[in-house]
Amino acid sequence: MNRGNRVLLSCVYWAFVLYVFVPLILMVLVSFKDSKFIGFPIRSWTFEWYTGVFADAQVLSTFGYSVVIAVLSTAISVVVGTWIAVLLEGRRFWGRAVIFGLTVLPALVPGIISAIAFRIYARGLGIEPGMGAIVWAHAVHNVPFVVLVVMARLSTLPKSQIEAARDLGADPLIAFLRITLPYLVPAILGASIFCLLLSFDDFVRSFFLGGYEPTLPVLIFAKLRSGMSPEINAIATVALILTAVVGIWAERFTRRLKKETEG
Amino acid sequence: MTKLSLNRRHLLKAAAIGSVALASPAYLRRAHASGGEVNIWTYNNFVPESFKKQFEADTGIKVNVRLVDDQGKQFNLLAAEQPNPTVDIMTVAGHRFLQFIDSDLLAPLDTGRLKNWGNINPTFSESDWSTIKGNKWGAPILSGMEVLSYNTDYVSAEEARTWDTLFSEKYANQTAYIIQDMMSIIMLKMGYDGNMVAYLDKPEEAARIVEEAKQFLIKHKPLVRKYYDGGAEIQQMFVNQDIVLGHSWNGPAAALINDGFPLDMTIPKEGSYGFVYTYNIAKNAPNADNAYIFLDAILSSPEIGAAMTKASGYISTYKDASNHLTDLEKKSTSFTDEELASLQFFRAEANKMKYGLIDPAVEAIKAA
Amino acid sequence: MSYDAASARNERAASTLRQADRTFWGRLVNWSPYRAFAGLVAASPRRQFLILALFPILWVLTQHLGPMIQMVGVSFTDAYPVAAGTEQHLTLDNYARFFGDSIFWMPFFRTLFFAATFTFCTLILTYPVAYYLARHVSRKNQMLMLLLLLIPFWVGEIVRTYAIMILLGNTGAVNLLLRSIGLIDRPIPFMYTSFSMGMGIVYLTALYMLLPLYSALEKLPKSYNEAAADLGAGAWTRFRRVTLPLTIEGISSGCTLVFLIATGFYATPVLLGGPSTTVFAETIAGFFHVAGDEWPTGAAFATIMFVSALIVTVVFQRLMSALRKGDVK
Repeated sequence: MNRGNRVLLSCVYWAFVLYVFVPLILMVLVSFKDSKFIGFPIRSWTFEWYTGVFADAQVLSTFGYSVVIAVLSTAISVVVGTWIAVLLEGRRFWGRAVIFGLTVLPALVPGIISAIAFRIYARGLGIEPGMGAIVWAHAVHNVPFVVLVVMARLSTLPKSQIEAARDLGADPLIAFLRITLPYLVPAILGASIFCLLLSFDDFVRSFFLGGYEPTLPVLIFAKLRSGMSPEINAIATVALILTAVVGIWAERFTRRLKKETEG
Repeated sequence: MTKLSLNRRHLLKAAAIGSVALASPAYLRRAHASGGEVNIWTYNNFVPESFKKQFEADTGIKVNVRLVDDQGKQFNLLAAEQPNPTVDIMTVAGHRFLQFIDSDLLAPLDTGRLKNWGNINPTFSESDWSTIKGNKWGAPILSGMEVLSYNTDYVSAEEARTWDTLFSEKYANQTAYIIQDMMSIIMLKMGYDGNMVAYLDKPEEAARIVEEAKQFLIKHKPLVRKYYDGGAEIQQMFVNQDIVLGHSWNGPAAALINDGFPLDMTIPKEGSYGFVYTYNIAKNAPNADNAYIFLDAILSSPEIGAAMTKASGYISTYKDASNHLTDLEKKSTSFTDEELASLQFFRAEANKMKYGLIDPAVEAIKAA
Repeated sequence: MSYDAASARNERAASTLRQADRTFWGRLVNWSPYRAFAGLVAASPRRQFLILALFPILWVLTQHLGPMIQMVGVSFTDAYPVAAGTEQHLTLDNYARFFGDSIFWMPFFRTLFFAATFTFCTLILTYPVAYYLARHVSRKNQMLMLLLLLIPFWVGEIVRTYAIMILLGNTGAVNLLLRSIGLIDRPIPFMYTSFSMGMGIVYLTALYMLLPLYSALEKLPKSYNEAAADLGAGAWTRFRRVTLPLTIEGISSGCTLVFLIATGFYATPVLLGGPSTTVFAETIAGFFHVAGDEWPTGAAFATIMFVSALIVTVVFQRLMSALRKGDVK
């Protein structure tokens, strides 16, 4: 019985892998198509789109620009979001529902509207369009996602642990840093992935708050105007590989760092 | 095969670069301007890369291009930036002028400052839509039109002579169109003025006509595969053979033809509408002087116009630009005299009333 | 038994704290500026709370509420941006327009219905995947297999949406496959239906469901299930009475995320949907794109949308937390 379940579930898992990868494989496949348009049948193949991507300094600098924006905005969102989650979870106080409502607000507003609202507000605050403005808008927009994920994890933290620490004389800050924060690490990591993805893929806020330097999605939208060409797929493929490399490097790096501090 | 087409494309690129470099006007090289920069909002490939490099080298003016993907976003962005815009030159379609002008976002164009204004075909530079409130507002660069595109493997040229084929049972669920644009065409097809200028003083009449066009599209809704918005969408639908004919702009259709796809396009006998992309100078533009230098330079030779056509598929407004196109490119950007005779340009005078009626009608069609 | 687990963990927490004196933390706690700071902060529970609450309240008021007030403000005006030489007036017309015209209701309810349906589909699809990962895969491989699933999500929404098109189109991969193995002679029109749209949205949102579910399932002690099995509960009963209730928190947060993201989607439904699948985001965007000078109406419609989504979310969260409290006891 148990083994049958297990086999069934592993089939479901691999079917899911297939589901998420097939469109991806198609994307990579047509990036080698020798035509200005994606789709089947592919009559002849070419590397031209890739040589074009690497010859185009703009694509690569755009990629770097998007990564920097994603990392900075994620850092802000995670700190603010965790703070708000700690305030809201498990506490009853006057106005809690109002603060919760306000917290999730940025996630509820359709992109185009939030973008225009941010743009007008940024002008009111004197924030110039450009990287700072994009980072700010992404950070605000992503806070609700951090709050929801962290609150879910926080709600399962056994209260007795904090109490035990407090009984031993730890002040609230130490108790938070030593007990709560380590417990939250998986949720914070998960939330960071959300934020990085949301920022990296955001078009409409980046467009309205950006200056003359495009982010990757802004560049792709602009290129899309003259047709969905394999060039866009090639850009996406290169971006995917670069992100994977950066991701693996970051993972290795933090692991080594951890080992060194522990050892 | 791969090699061959690779060479073909490279050859074209080289030809384009060469011709533009040749065309760089001598007076620009002499009159080395004060430097500085010029900020432009435009579509991908509307400023040819080779021209940009040449211009920067000749004048010392840095060209900052911000790529945009539709008219509405440019309007929203500029509205949010005024009264201190970051932009000097933007790309507006002729029939959207009025909206920008009414919101006080554009500066009138002083054509006296453009020595090369005469290089534009007068059909575009002096036509009725281009003068508003006694002023010129933009320099026409590319011309587009609403056409009927069809896959030649499935649809005959004869069938494509009329818009009715788009609504026939024979091609049920193999068609697509942009509803907003189709509303104007349907009105024209029914014998009315799709620009609605004729009904400016007769609002009831205007409302009745829009209602009639709306009912027509609702009645034929079961036959359509997709209401779409952008050129890339209809290209993909043709490539995937989700549709075999559809209403489109000529630019995206020309791009498919130039890539060797079995497609053709016509201006059907009932007629259609054209529009013109223009470079406009923003009100309170930070570098207005450089903007004029840029405009004069980009208008300086037909080769530059041809390069824009090659990249976008739209028809150049420059005199003699077609002399610099390949045969296939000529084919995808030319129409017979008979077809052109039935073409009119979009006009903006009645837009407030027209879109006040059409936008709710579009919502109703989508909801029907 | 759960008491034992908790007390064991408490013991561990206490022992780490006892070691604290020798470590960084110990030094920090004994450092006098920190002591002064902690004394100031922790003087009373009231002050602790105030200090904890001050920053979040300031943040949500200035950063979250500020832009929205601006938008809601616009929704009550008759013109925005104000053209030169004209005056702006306050009005309720923009809201009246929604309630007065039934053509706007269909996209509105369709959006809520679609978002809820697609959220449910995503849940059904990803729960077994998360379950398998968390319960049947060794710790070492879990991270790897999870990361494998994350890869496609690094590709942008637009590119993946077009990938769905070349998957489902008439000459798309699926139709090509079915034709080549002789199952069909004419292509099946998958595209531009609520199916292709749902497929796209589920594809784009699956991750936002998968991660919360995984993290909820992962921390569920295996011993619970074993205990239930010892008591003679069958697999289905164990799942329904033990696993499901204990992962309600993950389900609730995943569903909320996916629902919110799905209601806000614009490009994917526009690109993958058909003539009769218009969603409300498209209606709203229409006021900003095509018409251009109808920002106030667009702002009013957006306000209606987010208030509705907020209500749905709050009701759903309440329901889930009631369910949790009722079941776990």
